[in-house]
Amino acid sequence: MASNNPSQLLPSELIDRCIGSKIRVIMKGDKELVGVLKGFDVYVNMVLEDVTEYEITAEGSRVTKLDQILLNGNNIAILVPGGAPEDAE
Amino acid sequence: MSGSGDKTTKTPADFLKSIRGRPVVVKLNSGVDYRGILACLDGYMNIAMEQTEEYVNGQLKNKYGDAFIRGNNVLYISTVKGPLADGA
Repeated sequence: MASNNPSQLLPSELIDRCIGSKIRVIMKGDKELVGVLKGFDVYVNMVLEDVTEYEITAEGSRVTKLDQILLNGNNIAILVPGGAPEDAE
Repeated sequence: MSGSGDKTTKTPADFLKSIRGRPVVVKLNSGVDYRGILACLDGYMNIAMEQTEEYVNGQLKNKYGDAFIRGNNVLYISTVKGPLADGA
């Protein structure tokens, strides 16, 4: 099928291309984080920098964290390159 | 595997090596926040902290001299810029 097709893009490659840029991480619950991707591992645990945390409920509060975070890949659902919830609207 | 060859890449393993002894914020899946000095941690994100403060809904609830957190509960570990306490 596509097994001999070298132009297939692996998910990990897509994430790899985001390193150094802003990425939006949508978690399983009502939470999103936006930050600069510094790196990740096979479990898609992620190291993010200058992170803003969004709680997507009622008003949608914001918590801005500084420096770097290690985000546990366990609760990550979707990754959006370059996306920030506010920039999109 | 993870990251390109470029030196500004920081993998989770690199991050874990670099943060021992620093003030951190640990958020659990439950939403509870713990702020303290990171004593040590392992690859499962099990964490040992000192001078820990527990924040529930943004409010300080408890203080612990030493705290151990089991890694399966951890949502994220964040370093904090500047002094944690309200020092001079």
